[in-house]
Amino acid sequence: MRPLRRFLKRLSSWARTQQDEERLRAEIEEHLAMQTAENLRSGLSPTEARRQAVLKFGGVEAMKEDYRAQKGLPFLETLAQDTRHTLRRLRKAPAFTITTVLTLALGIGATTSIFTLVHAVLLKSLPVANPNELYRLGKETRCCYQGGYSQEKEFSLVSYDLYKYLRDNTKGFAELAAFPAFEPLFGVRRAGNSEAAQSYPGEFVSGNYFTMFGIQAYAGRTLTAQDDRPGAPPAAVMSYRLWQQQYGSDPSVIGSVFNLDDKPFTVVGITPPSFFGEALRNTPPDFFLPLNAEPFVEVDADLNKYDTHWLDLIGRIQPGAKPASIEAEMRVELKQWLRSHWGEMSANDRAKFPKQTLYLSPGGAGITSMREQYEHWLQILMMVSGFALLIVCANVANLMLVRGMERRRQVSLSMALGAQASRVVRQPLTESILLSLFGGAAGLAVAFAGTRLILHFAFPSFAGFASVPISASPSMPVLLFAFVTSLLTGVVFGIAPAWMATRVDPIEALRGVSRSSERTGSVPRKTLVVFQAALSLVLLSAAGLLTAALHNLENQDFGFEQDRRIVATMNPRLAGYRTDQLSLLYRRIHDSIASVPGVSSVALCQYAPLSGGAWGSGVWVDGQPPPGPTDDYFAWWDRVTAGYFAVIGNPIIRGRGISEEDTSASRNVAVINEAFARKFFKDEDPIGKHFGREPGASRQFEVVGVAKDSRYVAHNLDKPIGAFFFLPEAQAEYARSNQGSLFLHDIVIFTGPGPGLSTARVREAMASVDPNMPIISIRTLREQVAGQFSQQRLIARLTSFFGVLSLVLASIGLYGVTAYNAGLRVGEIGVRMALGADRGDIVTLVLRGALMLIVLGLLIGLPLTFAAGKVLGSQLYGMNTYNPVVTSVAVLALGLSAMLASLIPAFRASLISPLDALRVE
Amino acid sequence: MSQMKEKMDVLQGTLALMVLKTLEVLGPLHGYAIARRIEQISGDLLSVNQGTLYPVLLKLEQEGSIASEWGSSENNRKARFYRLTRGGRKQLQAEFRGWEQTAAIMGRFFVLKEEDLK
Repeated sequence: MRPLRRFLKRLSSWARTQQDEERLRAEIEEHLAMQTAENLRSGLSPTEARRQAVLKFGGVEAMKEDYRAQKGLPFLETLAQDTRHTLRRLRKAPAFTITTVLTLALGIGATTSIFTLVHAVLLKSLPVANPNELYRLGKETRCCYQGGYSQEKEFSLVSYDLYKYLRDNTKGFAELAAFPAFEPLFGVRRAGNSEAAQSYPGEFVSGNYFTMFGIQAYAGRTLTAQDDRPGAPPAAVMSYRLWQQQYGSDPSVIGSVFNLDDKPFTVVGITPPSFFGEALRNTPPDFFLPLNAEPFVEVDADLNKYDTHWLDLIGRIQPGAKPASIEAEMRVELKQWLRSHWGEMSANDRAKFPKQTLYLSPGGAGITSMREQYEHWLQILMMVSGFALLIVCANVANLMLVRGMERRRQVSLSMALGAQASRVVRQPLTESILLSLFGGAAGLAVAFAGTRLILHFAFPSFAGFASVPISASPSMPVLLFAFVTSLLTGVVFGIAPAWMATRVDPIEALRGVSRSSERTGSVPRKTLVVFQAALSLVLLSAAGLLTAALHNLENQDFGFEQDRRIVATMNPRLAGYRTDQLSLLYRRIHDSIASVPGVSSVALCQYAPLSGGAWGSGVWVDGQPPPGPTDDYFAWWDRVTAGYFAVIGNPIIRGRGISEEDTSASRNVAVINEAFARKFFKDEDPIGKHFGREPGASRQFEVVGVAKDSRYVAHNLDKPIGAFFFLPEAQAEYARSNQGSLFLHDIVIFTGPGPGLSTARVREAMASVDPNMPIISIRTLREQVAGQFSQQRLIARLTSFFGVLSLVLASIGLYGVTAYNAGLRVGEIGVRMALGADRGDIVTLVLRGALMLIVLGLLIGLPLTFAAGKVLGSQLYGMNTYNPVVTSVAVLALGLSAMLASLIPAFRASLISPLDALRVE
Repeated sequence: MSQMKEKMDVLQGTLALMVLKTLEVLGPLHGYAIARRIEQISGDLLSVNQGTLYPVLLKLEQEGSIASEWGSSENNRKARFYRLTRGGRKQLQAEFRGWEQTAAIMGRFFVLKEEDLK
């Protein structure tokens, strides 16, 4: 209490300095007058009486100083003084100030913009009430379906039935909500509107979803348990974004009917602007529908299948409940539920039953699939930008040291006159912190622009869709980060110059500075250059490795042709097609596009290569024992129309491709890839062999051809291409099942030689088939493939940017040191030349010093580059982390620019005339 | 530097206690009178640098142990008078007890003889 009171008093008395000075002066005067009077009484002469009084009082000025120190806040006062002084000094050196602030802005800005992403993707909680009370099912995120009654490692996806069982029996949850692990697109049209349907992402959620998150509707109401029961009138909640951007915040939207995939839903409310669902996604959902409406919309509904697990769970625990005991409770419930389905379980499921378990993990950040996807590369970028910031610090420290050198005379003079060491140190420190704060402020602007740029490249958005809910404008934590970074930066690069300042010998003030016997200050500056060279080498080789890995990725043998191929993506489901209409639709689309001039051939498929989607299935081979619980019998598959392999340019190695002769009347055939042949048929000839997609149906398809391995799936680029098979569209089981796999998405167009095909012609051709069919995108296959590597490209480019930045900064640093040292040695050079050294000798002399530093930097940096390769690890997609070519190129780049940076001062030194040089002394 | 400061703190601490005690015994006094009293009792501690008293007075006032106001002295001069506040009285009592304790302990130690510890 007392210290606080004293501080407040001091603060207030600091504010009224003048008045207090006056009071002290008066008091001293009174004191002296009384003492003088007393001395007079004891018989001293008036002059002597006064003199004695003053003597007895002691040093007035020293006392005043002490008094002031007690009274105000000397720290604040000197700080204000130092700041004023520093600002004045900075104004007087605009070139230095601007260079420094800009360099710092670049360093701090880059680090801050990466941190903005780190914060948004890795650290932030969902914008919901008390996110720390939320827990989700599962340790890892998983997509999208799990069938049967067992799951590997953990039960993390559940069926609707299992969800209800867990929800109704787990007491520890106040609310437990469910939603699918994927986000379907809906073809949306406002009822009574004749325009073509627009596609928007949406999701099915349980009735308590909004209650669980504690989310209130922005307008209207949210969904409730009443909406989520069989037979309830279909209700939907719209996102604020769609409401505002598409419908101009029209209040009549609430209560009006919208057709989603041609099924009427009444929009009952709008979500708050900040809410983006339960996961950070590239395309946040625009519609929230009750889970029980799923069978109403989907042709192939999952809601009532006990053994189709497609729901993620997040729950809010009861106040005071222990997550660990809830987890234990739910494990028991899971076993109970599984037991109740014992009769339907396969032998494999039963064998795996004892191992089935589940885990709860904190759910405040929602479903963190994006976190898992981006974590590693954000860490790499954070590290890279941190290194770049260190190099920036080293450079600015170098500049500051030069400034310190120039001030040596002044500093030694003030020291000689009795300035406190602490005060002398404080000056360069104040200067560096002030500079870095300016740099930080400018850096925020750089960060804003940088973040927008990175967001644009890292999270591609689609026209009309919501973009990733990450804001580029700095939030409080980001501002704080930038501030702390600036402060730390200021201290880091300010320490060396400040330390140098105290090591000034006052006697130097009396000598000329240029005559000082030792070249103080060159050791720290040289150390900084060595450090910069080492770090630049690390950044350069990291950039080289990533670029080489990207090059390998982009130029790998994909197994198909990219030239003259165009992919148009559509979704017949969004236009409300029934499965029995599809075969005819595909035929009409094919014919309509094939008749466009310039088109050489056309084929349709579920998913074109590297389009981001693919179907997987188990494989049962005829004549082989059925797979056991630990066997891998998985393969990807695609459904394609006749002539597909020729259109996509995928060579058939043996047998034939899918052709017009494969019809619903002929035997069911399949074309497999080489990996499939190796995996399931080993050394045998696969042609004529049979396999199936279900147990007991191993004679379903006959293999008629083997296609060259080609890359369809993008998420395991570092692994060899997996097993894949292709089925003819004409033999799809249209009558037998209502499967989502019947809807083909991609139209592959092979154009003739010459000028490219205009997309307008393709759209016209599609519109002539059905004007209501939404076309999601039309792009070349090359663009589609390149789109798969945008993340890798971004990280390679950013790292290259940081690498080049650090190379430039290190070269500037080296240039500065070399020029400065050459300047100090002018006298020596003059003597050498007078004694017969020629210009070449002088150049070598100066160069040797500079190159020594670089060689040292390389020696330190080389082992670090190996460590960097290790850290990059999986980002290199199987490329060796040690790449001698990349390392030598990095060494060469650094060596060359160092050569360049030191040659200039070396030549300048050699041009000194010996006479002038000697006269300098 | 640090040693000097330490000495000063000790001096300031004892000086502060003396000021408080003087004001308790004699009632409100101006700076000169306080200096004189302390000088009389403590001998040469303050006779060298009477001025050091003023920073101590300021500190005590900031802490709320004493209060001050302008008044007129015995021979009608304007002077600033300091008086003990309630908080100051309490502080004095507390610190006095502390002193007594310390002094007693130290006293016992200084009369220690070798056999006492055997």
